[in-house]
Amino acid sequence: MTVYEAEVPGVGHKFELELGDEERLIVIIHHDGKREIYLRPGKNQDSEKLFSLTGKLARQLGSILEGAYFQPVEMDDIQVPLGEAIIEWTDVDPSAPLIGQSLQEATIRERTGVSIMAIQRGEETIANPQPDTTIKANDVLVSLGTRDEQQQFAELVDSGSDGT
Amino acid sequence: MSDTLLFEIGIALTGIAVAGTVANRISLSVIPAYIAMGILIGPNEPSTIAGISLTLVDQREFIDVVAELGIVFLLFFLGVEFSISQLLNDRRRIAKIGSIDFLVNFSLGIGLGLAFGYSLLETFFLAGIVYISSSAVISKSLIESGWVANAESGPILGTLVFEDILIAVYLALLTAVAGGGGTVMDAAVAIGGAFVFLGGLTLIAWYGSSIVEQVFDTDSDELFLLRILGITTLIAGFALTLGLSEAVAAFFVGTAFSETDHIERIESVVTPTRDFFAAVFFFSIGLTTEITLLTDLIWLLLAAVLVTTVGKVISGSLSGRIYRLDRRRSMRVGVGLVPRGEFSLVIATLAASVGTGALGGEIPVFAVGYVLVMSVVGTLLIQNADRVFEGITTASRVARPD
Repeated sequence: MTVYEAEVPGVGHKFELELGDEERLIVIIHHDGKREIYLRPGKNQDSEKLFSLTGKLARQLGSILEGAYFQPVEMDDIQVPLGEAIIEWTDVDPSAPLIGQSLQEATIRERTGVSIMAIQRGEETIANPQPDTTIKANDVLVSLGTRDEQQQFAELVDSGSDGT
Repeated sequence: MSDTLLFEIGIALTGIAVAGTVANRISLSVIPAYIAMGILIGPNEPSTIAGISLTLVDQREFIDVVAELGIVFLLFFLGVEFSISQLLNDRRRIAKIGSIDFLVNFSLGIGLGLAFGYSLLETFFLAGIVYISSSAVISKSLIESGWVANAESGPILGTLVFEDILIAVYLALLTAVAGGGGTVMDAAVAIGGAFVFLGGLTLIAWYGSSIVEQVFDTDSDELFLLRILGITTLIAGFALTLGLSEAVAAFFVGTAFSETDHIERIESVVTPTRDFFAAVFFFSIGLTTEITLLTDLIWLLLAAVLVTTVGKVISGSLSGRIYRLDRRRSMRVGVGLVPRGEFSLVIATLAASVGTGALGGEIPVFAVGYVLVMSVVGTLLIQNADRVFEGITTASRVARPD
């Protein structure tokens, strides 16, 4: 989306935002700080004035639009920058073969490639669990690894086909 | 006299305030209202109503000085708001539409002057008065009509930018010629001097931006205002003592600021002072106008109003075409450029200061009448542009039934 900027001599600045189709939103910022917002429905149509704001109100509205007051979480956009790796939360089934083993005994990293970053157990979270931490039923294992590694790990927790 | 001075100034300022309020009520430009108030309570006719004297303000000295400051700061702001970057970005189209605007309307002014038997110099003044559109009235009307957000604002404002440059050159030339001794040699020397001075100011404006930036860097708005008023008035006054145009000097001082970060601050801090000076300037024009002289000039006035309105509509429509606008919008460009105002009066003031022949009497009076009509007619045309457009298209269909 292009933003067009032009000076309006003796008045201030004009910004035009393309809204798609031929529609444009036009913002005029006067030298005295007043803002006027217009909507132009099409190329050959007249702009209609939507509203005008003082400089102070405009800044407040701007922060609201920017999400400074309330930021909805847009699920599609969550990207943790870990390169190829992703983080997964895996429930340990009460029948899973890993139960009762310590992390060291389960040799999760050697077998699947993921590392266990944390264990969520009921209300508490064990961050950076030690190798001698025992895996219990209904734990949630937080693991870091590539998509393939996570896939193998999920199978390991699920089926218990430990390949030995 | 001096003990009534303050009282008279009080009456004048109150009169200006009342005139402005009335103009705002009926959503017309304040400029003709200030002039009308000056005519009404000034020493010239009409001077009585039912035997009651209307000459409330006769004190000229103070008002003259403030009016002069009005001219200086109108032109200073023209320089401050003068956008070199916009001019350069769009120079091809602006040069085209500016030339069309100048050729059509200045030529019409020359034609009018010669047809009514004025001398060459007088005709030159007249042509300037009818050529130059009013930035103040037009930008206000553009905002009120919402056109500022439409495509037609491009060519309208582009034309005004071109006119700004032209008026600076024109005023410099006229001041040199009118102030010269009258022989060709004198005029040539005067013009040469004027351009050396302007060239110097341009260079200072161009290369002095960073110095200007530092000199005017202060936290206090009060000090900032005083520095601006001081330096501008100083340079404009100095130019005047050299026999050059103070208005043009002020314009160049303004352009020195146009590329700095001070613009926003000038707009917020200096504008009220400019508005005060300018209002007194328009009022003082009314004070000095012998409005009864207009009866002798009525034919010139009617001809000028008619011809120059049509002239701007035609030249503006052509300009709109260059910007590839449709017919309705092109027509709006023409209508949008009809209002004349402050710059015509600046030229008229220069004419009055020369004071020979028609320049001392008829031309300034004509200019006042002309601006009174054109600022009102122009505003009304902009407000009713679409109806005007319908009217013209219907008329042209009747003329050429197809």
